[in-house]
Amino acid sequence: MNLNEESLQKIAELSRLKIDPKDIQNFLTDFNKVLNYVDTITELNVSSVSDEDLYPNEGNSLRADKAKEGLSRSQIESFAPSFQNGYFVVPKVIET
Amino acid sequence: MKELWKLKYSDIKKGLNSGEFTPTDLIQSLISRIEAEDSKIKAFLSWEKESIVKAAAESTERRKSGKPLSEFDGIPIGVKDNICIENTITSCASKILENYRSPFHATAIEKLLAKGFVLIPRANMDEFAMGSSTENSAYQVTKNPFDTARIPGGSSGGSAAAVAASFVPVALGSDTGGSVRQPASLCGIFGLKPTYGTVSRYGLVAYASSLDQIGPLSKDIDGIIDVYSVISGKDQRDATSKNIPAFDPSKVKELPWKGLKIGKMKITSEIEPDVAKAYESLLAELESKGAQLVDLDFSLLSNSIPIYYIIATAECSSNLSRFDGIRFGQRKDPSGKLEDLYVTSRSEGFGKEVQRRILLGTFSLSAGYYDAYYGRAQKARVLIKKEYEGYFSKVDLILQPTSPTTAFKVGEKTSDPIQMYKADILTTSVNLAGVPAMSVPIGKDSNGLPIGLQITAPALHEDKIFGFAKMISDWASKVELPETIK
Repeated sequence: MNLNEESLQKIAELSRLKIDPKDIQNFLTDFNKVLNYVDTITELNVSSVSDEDLYPNEGNSLRADKAKEGLSRSQIESFAPSFQNGYFVVPKVIET
Repeated sequence: MKELWKLKYSDIKKGLNSGEFTPTDLIQSLISRIEAEDSKIKAFLSWEKESIVKAAAESTERRKSGKPLSEFDGIPIGVKDNICIENTITSCASKILENYRSPFHATAIEKLLAKGFVLIPRANMDEFAMGSSTENSAYQVTKNPFDTARIPGGSSGGSAAAVAASFVPVALGSDTGGSVRQPASLCGIFGLKPTYGTVSRYGLVAYASSLDQIGPLSKDIDGIIDVYSVISGKDQRDATSKNIPAFDPSKVKELPWKGLKIGKMKITSEIEPDVAKAYESLLAELESKGAQLVDLDFSLLSNSIPIYYIIATAECSSNLSRFDGIRFGQRKDPSGKLEDLYVTSRSEGFGKEVQRRILLGTFSLSAGYYDAYYGRAQKARVLIKKEYEGYFSKVDLILQPTSPTTAFKVGEKTSDPIQMYKADILTTSVNLAGVPAMSVPIGKDSNGLPIGLQITAPALHEDKIFGFAKMISDWASKVELPETIK
């Protein structure tokens, strides 16, 4: 199958990505090349695969419910782009 | 002082333990080699020389006082830039994590430090481990030490080139679809993709969580066995880690040639003639020693790249959604609106190939296409696993070339994503099935470029791979690493 520009823009929006208008044609060409290549799997017969095969019951990997020390506030601050008074700073999201 | 950088891993270990030289002597030799040659190779992204020299000095002191942490104390190991080391930049060769200093060690790193290994970060890579040539790094293109006009393979190209250029005897990489084995093959060294779940992924920045596995690259087989035995084993912090102890190196035994059943593939047009020749002459030699060759039908596996790309990109679109400019890494905030902050931080932070894969993943997970693509790929993955189970009911090991070609030229495949993806045609199915495989050098092509053999075993049978690799070590030793970098 081939995707058109409108659908590609929609996927970009879902991905929180913006494709530069000057790159859109190249992106679309490359994307469709890749899509046509992976499209071959639509011809594979997978009817023999059951749900049990797909989701084998291997059990959960659980840890004891014990509190453990996590990262300190100063460590978090050191790698956050913007951090104040114990909070990550984001632009205003509520209109007043 | 003797040129210690020339030594293989096993000789370095021997020399340190016999007291022939100290970790400081060794690190000084390696640093001189790196400072003289890395401008041609560009294997490393940054270079914190002081901390490396200090770690080696501490190891020297421990050895002098008769209290080494282990027989590995003082052995230098390169580390790919997607494996977290506390207080060290871990950028995944991406702009979005340009200044990110990890606040913790990956489990594999903790284990290596506990044994006294000296860490040499940050080996270059394809951005977020996406690529087969190390040309997708946001910072620099790494070159192949055998021919600097060519790529070293990817995505662990920095780690592979660092080992092949004798900057380090051993290094860590990560393998999602062949990213340890393919560069190992193209650089004439050994590279292991362990059984999925045997090495903790805690602290490995995730590309595709169900496929990724940390693996060692080394000048010789002993480096692979030692590092794997140190980093493997159950980790409570990684729920996908298997409940098994660390690998026991005493399990490695040479296999009896007589009756050894080896699965082989039919040579297709995708395999370069020189690669096919090296592969077939090895098979003939094995047969003459008593091994039994069994033809295997790999037709289903030829679909593994499309299956792989759908699963890997779906997981990457989900994993990389955490990079939004809020909690870590780079922030771009042009308009003061939250939505724009996300979009601009991601669009300017991720390179083109990463964006292409995120888009493909979002597409295959989207409501209208989920069943046809992602759901179907998951079912096809089950078939691949069953296919391997079928093979291993007939044979002990499977042998294939690791890469269909030897190292290609810088820029040769960058304009065509499909050609680039095909570089991993023989390696991706191994990750889909979760079985272990290793690349071993077996010869060179007419241009003097290395050719690798991929040895695949049933899950948790790394011991068979190692035993077999030792048996063909005469072949591997024919591929000498370059002393002069041109």
